[in-house]
Amino acid sequence: MKLWHSFVKELQLSSKSWYFYIEVGMAVVLLLILLVAVPKETDSRTDEYLYAGDIPSDYVDLIYRGLLDDEDEDSEYERVEIKVGGDLFGADLFVTDTRNIYFVDDREAVLRLAKEDKEVGIEIIPASDGGLDYLYYLQGYESQKLKNLYMVLQNNKVNYKFVERHMDRQTVETIEKDPFVLNNRENIVPVFLTYNGSLMGLFIIAAYIFLDKKEGIAMAYAVTASKVWHYLMSKIGVMMVTTISTGLILVIPVMGARANYPLLLLLVVTTAFAFSSLGLLVTTYYRDMMQSFGAFFIIIVAMILPNVSYFAPSWEPSWIKYFPTYHILEGFKEAISIGGSAGYVVFVSIGFLAAGLLLFLFANYRFKKTLTI
Amino acid sequence: MISVKNLYHSYSNDEKYAVKDVSFEITEGEVFGFLGPSGAGKSTTQGILTGLLQLQKGDVTVAGYDIKHIKNEMFNKIGMSFEQSNVYSKMTGKENLEFYRKLFDVKTRDPQELLELVGLGDKGDIKAGEYSKGMKHRLTFARSMINNPTLWFLDEPTTGLDPSIASEIKSIIKEKNREGVTIFLTTHNMFIADELCDRVGFIVDGEIKLIDSPKNLKLQYGEKFVDVEYVDGKEAKKESLSFMEKEDIGRLKEILDSYEIRTMHTKEATLEEIFIKVTGRELV
Ligand SMILES: Nc1ncnc2c1ncn2[C@@H]1O[C@H](COP(=O)(O)OP(=O)(O)OP(=O)(O)O)[C@@H](O)[C@H]1O
Ligand SMILES: [Mg+2]
Repeated sequence: MKLWHSFVKELQLSSKSWYFYIEVGMAVVLLLILLVAVPKETDSRTDEYLYAGDIPSDYVDLIYRGLLDDEDEDSEYERVEIKVGGDLFGADLFVTDTRNIYFVDDREAVLRLAKEDKEVGIEIIPASDGGLDYLYYLQGYESQKLKNLYMVLQNNKVNYKFVERHMDRQTVETIEKDPFVLNNRENIVPVFLTYNGSLMGLFIIAAYIFLDKKEGIAMAYAVTASKVWHYLMSKIGVMMVTTISTGLILVIPVMGARANYPLLLLLVVTTAFAFSSLGLLVTTYYRDMMQSFGAFFIIIVAMILPNVSYFAPSWEPSWIKYFPTYHILEGFKEAISIGGSAGYVVFVSIGFLAAGLLLFLFANYRFKKTLTI
Repeated sequence: MISVKNLYHSYSNDEKYAVKDVSFEITEGEVFGFLGPSGAGKSTTQGILTGLLQLQKGDVTVAGYDIKHIKNEMFNKIGMSFEQSNVYSKMTGKENLEFYRKLFDVKTRDPQELLELVGLGDKGDIKAGEYSKGMKHRLTFARSMINNPTLWFLDEPTTGLDPSIASEIKSIIKEKNREGVTIFLTTHNMFIADELCDRVGFIVDGEIKLIDSPKNLKLQYGEKFVDVEYVDGKEAKKESLSFMEKEDIGRLKEILDSYEIRTMHTKEATLEEIFIKVTGRELV
């Protein structure tokens, strides 16, 4: 009951404070950025430039036919001009769902594209055994994995006959029944949820506590028949309410009914709990926001790291998995993806609940010891 | 009501004690004044008694509870008025009290009634942040009475208040004491201590120098002071000397022998003068 009174009072207080409006305002700004500035789809296709002028034309025809039948989106190729360092070259453009493939008329263009524009340049040349060789012009920093992949894929001297037979036998199988890939805009939602929710929460709960410390409120609370953990928990409750509301502000307009809301809320609540508790703990080591700034800065920078691997999947060192925000990002992604793994989200949530509980107990213990500081 | 035995406290957890070997007892219904200069260890002692500071060494019981294992229910019996007012500045005076009363399990007093008692009757709907320093102090004071405490801690209750309000606060304290409330009063102000306290403890540098009633102290020291005004060259000088001290008696003889006396009369020592005599320290 006292916990409830404290919680209601904290809610009233926070509705009178700047921080609440900063959080909600931030959420609205982020939403606007998502809706206005981030297009649903950017052209994420990679460009490939090929030169096939040195191989027999029926080979070329076969390759073209293969592309048009199986991959090209409108089953037609376009005649385009591409610009390389001020010079124009003619090319045939095939657009597939992942790639823009240019068959360039001039070999020089492929070389220059690779050299000057750091594009992928490929030359198809006749092999001595009557097959085809693929000559890749790479940049030098590609991983050995990628090089091996190219080797296996194409460079093991593919025989024309074999190619033809192979193409005829190819069937495409869909592994996932209903593949659902987040579009660009949706893909950013987990990031905003994580940082506007957990990390802002970390900061703002600390701001609330330091404000109270300055006013001596915590001391006044400590000499009542209510427990200090009620006071701390009601602050966390307020952070949960703000995190839920700002989270929904972000998710509903972007995702509509597609997100799994119970899962989403579970993760929002448990991560808000863990990070607010961490914020509480930090406040027990410092007198005011200024002094604690260094600690918060380190925490925030560390927690933002997984963001890099989220957007650049090629950079995903194994240690990044030890950063909690990595799992928050992935968890939110699962929670808003159709067919996302509920098991993972629940598992991560339980983890944050447990971590939050430990942090909270420790913060409460320290808080009581440092009331007068 | 309060029993303190061999209490030590060090903020740095070493031998640098802010409070050293402090022992005293306060009986039910008593007003006990804790007097000492700034930094003497008054707030530290009070902090330990109210659980705000962890007990490090010593035995302390407050209102029947052992402070080693503090129970929250203990605070149903305790009121605490802080030296520095600490109220929610974003809430009105009345809201502050309304919220605070919900944190106790016992019958609480009506906020409006309390506000009127401390002269804030018409200020209840103003945010505490807009109160003056003295008004905030009175709100903090009023709040400490909300749970009808039987043990009341008051840290500098009248400091910074104008005299008429200070005297109202004093009469509230006297009234409460008449109702049987035990009061632990911390102050620099010897007049207030003299007026309100049944017994006073002098604390200096974390150590208690003396505990006695103002009445006893004055019996011991009273009427034994002499104020002497004399002329030294062209200058008029004044000194307060005690008949109790050998040194002072010698000094008095010296003055009588060497200077022209203007006035000289005996008087009752003030608590402040007694404090200085006993501890050798000014009460600043
Ligand atoms: N939080 C703290 N950390 C470290 N030292 C402290 C702390 N609070 C008080 N002290 C030290 O402990 C000693 C006693 O301080 P305390 O506040 O108890 O004095 P006081 O008698 O209440 O003084 P005042 O009349 O100025 O309120 C002082 O030397 C002070 O510097
Ligand atoms: Mg003090």
